Amino acid sequence: MTTGTTGTADETPLFASEPQFRAFFDDPRWALAIIRATVLEAAHPQVGAALADNSTFVAHPWRRLRNTFLSMRRMFDADPAVREREAARLNRLHARMSGSDTRGRSYDAMDRATRAWVVATLYESAVTMCRLSGQPLDQGTMERMYAEYRDFLAALDGDAGELPEDLNDFWRYFDRVVEDELENTEAARIILYRLFDHLPAPALLGGAPTLWAAGRAVVGPLLGAITVASLPEPYRRKAGLPEMPGAPTLMQGAYLAAGLTRFLPEDWIDAESIIETLSLSPDSDDPRARTATALRARMKRASALLRLLTPLSGDTDPDPVPPTSEAAEGRRSAEEFFRQVLDQTGDGHLDWPDLAAMARELATRLDLDEPEETRLYDAFAAWWRELQAALDTDGDGRVSADEYAAAVPSLAGPALIRVAEVLFDVTDKDGSGTVDADEHRALFRTAFHRDLTITDGTYDRSAFVGDFLSFMSGRRRNTGYDPLLADA
Amino acid sequence: MDGNGRWAQRRSLPRTAGHRAAEATVIDIIEAARAAGVEWLSLYAFSTENWNRPGTEVDYLMRLVRRVVRKHAPLLLARGIRCRFLGAADPRLPRELAQDFDDLATLTAGNQGMTLTVAFDHGGRRDIVEAARSLIRNGIQADEVTERLFADHLPFPDTPDVDLVIRTSGEQRISNFMLWQVAYAEWVFPDVLWPDFRAPDFLTCLHTYRRRDRRFGGVPPQTNGDPA
Repeated sequence: MTTGTTGTADETPLFASEPQFRAFFDDPRWALAIIRATVLEAAHPQVGAALADNSTFVAHPWRRLRNTFLSMRRMFDADPAVREREAARLNRLHARMSGSDTRGRSYDAMDRATRAWVVATLYESAVTMCRLSGQPLDQGTMERMYAEYRDFLAALDGDAGELPEDLNDFWRYFDRVVEDELENTEAARIILYRLFDHLPAPALLGGAPTLWAAGRAVVGPLLGAITVASLPEPYRRKAGLPEMPGAPTLMQGAYLAAGLTRFLPEDWIDAESIIETLSLSPDSDDPRARTATALRARMKRASALLRLLTPLSGDTDPDPVPPTSEAAEGRRSAEEFFRQVLDQTGDGHLDWPDLAAMARELATRLDLDEPEETRLYDAFAAWWRELQAALDTDGDGRVSADEYAAAVPSLAGPALIRVAEVLFDVTDKDGSGTVDADEHRALFRTAFHRDLTITDGTYDRSAFVGDFLSFMSGRRRNTGYDPLLADA
Repeated sequence: MDGNGRWAQRRSLPRTAGHRAAEATVIDIIEAARAAGVEWLSLYAFSTENWNRPGTEVDYLMRLVRRVVRKHAPLLLARGIRCRFLGAADPRLPRELAQDFDDLATLTAGNQGMTLTVAFDHGGRRDIVEAARSLIRNGIQADEVTERLFADHLPFPDTPDVDLVIRTSGEQRISNFMLWQVAYAEWVFPDVLWPDFRAPDFLTCLHTYRRRDRRFGGVPPQTNGDPA
């Protein structure tokens, strides 16, 4: 359900009249509501298991947020062809997610009842967000909006039969699921207690780790407390969530304050530009990157000053820096590479969902259709079998960081080279045998970089394969693949 | 910055006291140079050879420098001084100190007043070797290498040629200091020890320099007879 959230999308575009959902799109309250909806989603055992296994939101939350947002935008595009294509893409993506949870119960991201629940949490959170911020919706609006959400589900699933037709029945349905089906899942706990405390800095703020950590230490626990207080009471009881004095007030205050931004001039808060700006990487040739770079330089300066002004802790024992020949050559250590690139789901192990997440990211970037998408997945699957055979020495079906570190040199097998070749084929959309500037931009979102081995403004197969291999098996930093697979 | 140890010995103090006393001079000279309109000031704080001193003294120096850097960072920023550290590449350098150097350089990178280069863990020969490595790494042909191009590969290539070197405490050696840049430098060797060196002494040195006749290997403008 990773991309279930995507669903958030306003089905609106599916409707002729000005969609209710559209109005919430740039609403800051929606940020709080979406966190709440995601917790409710994750508390469903099926969704929770799928999230825990497949989602990259722990290790790469910002990339995930951006993908979700883009998908949402497509789902309410004015052009029905775009919407259908996106729905088909989401369905393919979810069809690849199935498995079983830690208690052996199977899950399937295509399960209709489960998908209905995801849409239900989004609807309910939107309504609740209005209530909590003191601007409740009237009955007519609630009913119109409910119809929009049902249409959204129908666009994904063919029909909306899993959600009650009538709004009155919906509330009974919602309460019943909360009472009977929701559990204290691991995924819900991670979102509430781990995600915000360990949230990595987005690319934009990557240069100011001190500042980011300081801000996070304050905001993380607050967001957790606000979200907990906004959850339905029966779930809080069942999941054993703390009732902290003042938390409900804090939560309502936060919603109220976020709601007050409606008095700001229109266009001041534009979710799209915020998300796009956060994911700007310093090497991008986007014109906004200049501004971002200037901003980043100031933040670096601010955090340098902050560090210099922090009083010295008594122990200033000399701690010699170990010689880092690898860093000097632009290489990562095996441990760093494992954490930043290979372990996409952030669970400390490398297994198929990690590589599937890479394939998913690449397919999303390149906007692949069938059969190219399947070719790419198949290549990654073959690489996974190769890795598993070579690296999984203890036979538990997955590769730990230690197993990886012990066997690093043997990593560039034929299946990895095959991945590079398939990636080249699908990137080279016009089949010209070289990646031209536009194709390069589609994959890396930036123009050719001067350190690439480019001849005549194109990028040929052997150079492409070579760069991919040196990134994947040589662990060399690469201005193209780093923002693509390593950035948070 | 010579003479800290002797300064302390004359007062029957431990050598470390001399280093501590040097801090006041450093700040005084930075202020004096800025006020006198000097645009590039370099201080030789620690040479690659200084690692051979007793371990305790080196440790003390590292801690002292760290404290000085942190204490004066806001002042340096406010005075518009751009600070940077030449050398500072040895793995023996404490990580916290290297971080502070980086932070101070980042913090003051946008300043446009005087540029203060602190040569710390510096060796002139090593810089030249670095430049040679950089040339080779960039695949530059032997015939293309000129003095200008070579200088562009030295650390901090924007550093101009040094005009004046002041070496305190009467020592008259180069000691591996910015070998490339001092090619045409004038030298002044005041006898005063560094902890006693103050703004007036600095201005005296500037005055001496002003009266020097700099010829850069040429001939004086007025000569008797035909220069040819």
